[in-house]
Amino acid sequence: MTTIRHLRTLYFYDGPQVIEARDAIGGHYVGVLIEPDGAHDRFLVCGVAPDRLREFRIGHLDLLALLTEQDESRYFLATVTEALSEPLHLTAIDHEADIQGYLPDAGFVLHDPPIEDLTLREAHDRNTLVLNIAVDPPEANSEHRIRVSTLVGLLNNVQTLLRHAYGAALRDLPAAARRSIDRTDAHLMDVVVPAASGSFRIVLTASRASDLLGHNELARALERVDAMFDDIDQPEVVLERVRTHRGHFAGAFLRLLRFLVVHRSGMRYGWAQPGFSAPRSRSISQAQSLPIVELLSGVSNLGSESITLTGILEEADVTRRTWRMATDEGKVTGGVQESGPTLEGLRLGAAYEFSCIEEIEFFDGTGQETRKMILTEHRPR
Amino acid sequence: MMFRETLPEDCPPGAADEIAEQRDVYRLVASDPPTEADFRSQRALRPTAVFSVSECQARGLSVHTERADSLRAAKLPRLRGKRICRVRLLPGAGYLQQTGTPSHHTWWPSADFDILAQCEAAMS
Repeated sequence: MTTIRHLRTLYFYDGPQVIEARDAIGGHYVGVLIEPDGAHDRFLVCGVAPDRLREFRIGHLDLLALLTEQDESRYFLATVTEALSEPLHLTAIDHEADIQGYLPDAGFVLHDPPIEDLTLREAHDRNTLVLNIAVDPPEANSEHRIRVSTLVGLLNNVQTLLRHAYGAALRDLPAAARRSIDRTDAHLMDVVVPAASGSFRIVLTASRASDLLGHNELARALERVDAMFDDIDQPEVVLERVRTHRGHFAGAFLRLLRFLVVHRSGMRYGWAQPGFSAPRSRSISQAQSLPIVELLSGVSNLGSESITLTGILEEADVTRRTWRMATDEGKVTGGVQESGPTLEGLRLGAAYEFSCIEEIEFFDGTGQETRKMILTEHRPR
Repeated sequence: MMFRETLPEDCPPGAADEIAEQRDVYRLVASDPPTEADFRSQRALRPTAVFSVSECQARGLSVHTERADSLRAAKLPRLRGKRICRVRLLPGAGYLQQTGTPSHHTWWPSADFDILAQCEAAMS
């Protein structure tokens, strides 16, 4: 018996109405909700060609045509006895006449008119958040080309900016909402089209799966990033906005602009989720980046972040001026500057509240960050 | 706000908007004129079913902001034969959130909102 797994919901109305699924060897299937079997939902399922499925996803093909166009279409029924996330067992329908009542009417397309915009099309095709970045370094002037260091640096800087924007967005949420969202310090996006046509263009998608309706939590980060690129022609306005985001996010923004200046490139980006009717786009030229970089470079401690830690002090080395604390979120190590407070008199195993400044050192080549936690004040709990 | 159906904690989600201005939405209904049953959530209709969406989503109602999208939905086998009802949402009608396609929204009606009084005769 063939078994398929739900991959994504293509159309939702009071529940999944049209779904996409795969079998164990990668075969593509489309399922359409039909009358239930008692208490259980049931789908008419049909194997489809991948390229035709893609045409359907972006609105170029009608569902009825997709389901009936193949000469030897094979139809199945799949009953959802558990959740849709569980494997679905297919039962073949022997007589094609039996499916007539199960087919959709002609004219059901997912998008009307069909989607032509690249970013939006990719978002619908992949049913997740898509980010499309275009840069124009000098080497791309005459041909479709980009230096490895430029590409690697760009991706690292963008990923870092997103990571800190995401962290900043999550910190502003109520604790209960924050707990329900998957927080990750790992990579947030994957490159899916490394060199699309046009200027040198890269397409990325969210690494983590979107929800059933295509919404991805990473949108919070991109909304923050969009705000940073508003009023890009007015460096003083940008400066004020960056000041309100003082911390790692602001530091990452400055590093990205500095990177664009060094590599003499402008940057355009657009992002979309399946629920968007148009992509959200921003751009910055090299000429726009320069005065902002100069202005932001004059602000001290722009990329430092104030952090309060509460936990049990596990280590305190008075000579080396280092310490380690066990907090609810894990162990944290740090140091104390010459001008900072002394560690003398602190009791190991006791609870303390440490006020710290966290600084990040970013390595251009690898995109790695080293965090340095500096204690500025301590008090017993 | 009291809701028409019992909702789980943190539902409607923070991204949903309280309906503060009058606006029209469209919902597929089985009967003409519509009845209360046309505005019961999937959870209310099938209390023991396992849904593939969040419990909050399962207790909301699908509506479209564009009539054409409801017309299109009615081409699907499970929704075939349904009629389109225009519901005039008044301030206090509940919470609304865009979910999925641009036109598709999930509506969590408030207990005080008289849906049938604001539901214009079904249009096929």
